[in-house]
Amino acid sequence: MSYIVPIGPYHPALEEPVHARLYTEGEEIKKAEVFIGYNHRGIEKLAQQKNFIQTLVMVERVCGICSHSHAFAYAMALESIAKMNVPKRGQYIRVITAELERLHSHYLWLGIALHIIGHDSLFMHTWDDREAIMDILEELSGNRVNYGMVTIGGARRDISDETRKNILGMLDKIEESMNRLTDILLSDKTVALRTQGVGVLTTEDAIRIGAVGPQARASNVPVDVRIDAPYSSYDDFEFKKVVYPSCDVFSRVVIRVLENYESIKILRQALDNLPKGPINLGTRIPQIPAGEYMVRHEAPRGQLCYKVVTDGGETNKRVSIHVPTFKNAPTVPTMLKGNSIADAGLIIASIDPCFSCMDR
Amino acid sequence: MQEYNKIPIKKDEVVPVAEQMRAKGIALAMIHAYLDENGRGCVSYEYEVGPAIMSYTVEGENVLPSISHIYDLAAQWPEREIMELMDIVFEGCDTSQRLFMPDSMMEGQGQILVTPMDKLIKKVKGEEE
Repeated sequence: MSYIVPIGPYHPALEEPVHARLYTEGEEIKKAEVFIGYNHRGIEKLAQQKNFIQTLVMVERVCGICSHSHAFAYAMALESIAKMNVPKRGQYIRVITAELERLHSHYLWLGIALHIIGHDSLFMHTWDDREAIMDILEELSGNRVNYGMVTIGGARRDISDETRKNILGMLDKIEESMNRLTDILLSDKTVALRTQGVGVLTTEDAIRIGAVGPQARASNVPVDVRIDAPYSSYDDFEFKKVVYPSCDVFSRVVIRVLENYESIKILRQALDNLPKGPINLGTRIPQIPAGEYMVRHEAPRGQLCYKVVTDGGETNKRVSIHVPTFKNAPTVPTMLKGNSIADAGLIIASIDPCFSCMDR
Repeated sequence: MQEYNKIPIKKDEVVPVAEQMRAKGIALAMIHAYLDENGRGCVSYEYEVGPAIMSYTVEGENVLPSISHIYDLAAQWPEREIMELMDIVFEGCDTSQRLFMPDSMMEGQGQILVTPMDKLIKKVKGEEE
């Protein structure tokens, strides 16, 4: 018997609005379609009417999870147009915030994935660890969501020596519990049964559709902007590009677990070698000449692109934001095909979607 | 600073450039667009060539050939988005379903990036004359 099963756009299992239509035969998904745009706020339109500092504040609100990534990328685009040299300490502070953001984002996804597969005890352990990272971000910035750590030309807030030591202490703590979590995730029968061989995105399909970030790396595609096109101070640090070949939901779990270790590695190097000196070029609204630039940033979910066009005036002529979910969401129908309806929620969640980012 | 190079091209070079890039295994980072002060399209095809972005840009054209048959959904979604946000058409791109905008804003005048804010507010409230 054939059915069309609609999921969303508003559904108790969805954190954000999206609509998927599953064409099934019995329990098997034969074809799937994804519909987006239920959260469109017209942020790119608003950016054409606001000055650069107002836009910086606004783009940080595109997303509640990778908020720093948006401010980081927008500031980099303007600094590239104006040929500004951001002070080294400011660059390190941006990287430290970005990696803390990646850690809490990956922990968030791991928790959600574990909750979906029904492993609620591990979900709570994961989010307990995430809480330590959120507390540190609050100590660092005063905020748990929109950190406000970036200004055009550097960082808005410095890191005190006490906070620096607290971050290092937190890293020791979560690394220890991460080791335990890794052992369980990679050997637990429930995790294996629900994730191995589920939602496969082959390497060829990932390249064909243009997947980015952990989604691509979990399909054995070695892409990471931090290494492929280094920016800010990322080329000062030693870390690995993590890839895994099984191409399924399990692979996406493994990638995020292993990437947490790489983020911890970057954070320790940045905190141990935090340069002295100014953190920014001043806090006045900058003069940005006419020009255009596109920058790429490795946000927690993958490559984030910002293209900014200016005309020498006080506002942006065009701010074009392209987020990782915009590149990864088209892979969902391919991954759903051939799987059972019961796994659809997990497969959709496995790209770590952010519809707030995508719809912007 | 990441490297960014803008390369002006003509409309009839869009497809050959995309074919060459695809053949070399180069990823399409994104397609970006805006309208200039005269309402003419400015569309950039941003390719990831090593650490640099090569931005092949067509200026002054509002109708362009689609490259979705070359770059699949990596090109189709950006093309559909641009068609919904501003008055630029990609010939050959499947636009039978909307991507971002509500169906009611797809009647040739819902392109929010180029519609004045007061008109948009009236349209959303259903007050348009």
